[in-house]
Amino acid sequence: MTENTVNEVERMVVTRVFDAPRELVWKAWTDPKYIMQWWGPKGFTAPVCEMDFRVGGKLICCMNAPDGQLCGWNAVEYHEIVLHEKIVSSMYFSDSKGNKIDPAELGIEHEAIDGAYDVTLFEDLGNGQTRLTFIGNDPMESAKNSGQLEGWNEILDKLAAVVAELAQAK
Amino acid sequence: MIERLSHGPASVHGLTEPFALSQQMISKHIAYLVRARIVIKTKRGRESVCTLRPEAIKAVSDWTISYRRFWEESFDKLQVVVNQMKKEEAGDDGKHG
Repeated sequence: MTENTVNEVERMVVTRVFDAPRELVWKAWTDPKYIMQWWGPKGFTAPVCEMDFRVGGKLICCMNAPDGQLCGWNAVEYHEIVLHEKIVSSMYFSDSKGNKIDPAELGIEHEAIDGAYDVTLFEDLGNGQTRLTFIGNDPMESAKNSGQLEGWNEILDKLAAVVAELAQAK
Repeated sequence: MIERLSHGPASVHGLTEPFALSQQMISKHIAYLVRARIVIKTKRGRESVCTLRPEAIKAVSDWTISYRRFWEESFDKLQVVVNQMKKEEAGDDGKHG
C-alpha cells in the first residue's frame, strides 16, 4: 500500500474505511465547519478553526483539553492538493496567527524528519466506501525508532500522574 | 524519576538509588530530560542536583498526546461526522437541497 520507502524512517500510518462516498469524506476533511467537529483526540475540542485550503495556504486550529483549558495552536500547511485523492501537508505547533513555534519552547523534544511531509490519501473502494490513509511524519516515533529517545514513552506515561500532583499542590 | 523529582530537587546519586540501574544509565536518562528542558541540572559542590521544571511538565503534558493517538481518535470522531453528513444528505434528497 505504501510506496517504496527504502532508507526512510518508518512512518506512522493511520488508516480507516468509511461507509461513505469519497467526495463526502473529502468534504469532512477539508471544510473547517466539519474539521472543528473531529479535530483532536477524544474529549478535546477545536473551538477555532481557520482554513485557507490551497497550496501554500494554512489551516490554523486551536485545541482545548477536555477540561476546557486551551492547550495550544496547531497549523497545517498545504504543499500539494489533488482533488478527492491526496493532500500533502506539514503540521507544526504555532501561535494563534499560525506562526511556527519551536517545540523546544514548549518543552518538547522534537525530532522531525527533514523534508518529510504528512500525506493523506482518499481511496474510492467502490460500493460507497472510502479508505482514508494518513501517513505521518512522526517526530516522536521516528526519534524512538532511531533509539534517541529510549525511555521517552515511560516518561510520558508518568507525566499525567505528575501533573495531577502539581495541580493539587497549587 | 520524574515522580521522584516532583517531591523536590534530588542529587544524581539520590536519583540512582531507587533504580536497579547504573549511575551511568541514570545520568544518560537525566541528560534526555535536561535536553528536553524538563529537568534543570545544577552543580552543588561535587554533587549534581536535578530540579523539575513544572511549567515544562505542564506544557509537555498538554501537547504530547501521542501523535498516533491524536490521529486515531480524530478518525473516530471523523467517522461520527461523516455518518452525520450522510444522514443530512439523505434527508436533503427529498427536498432537493
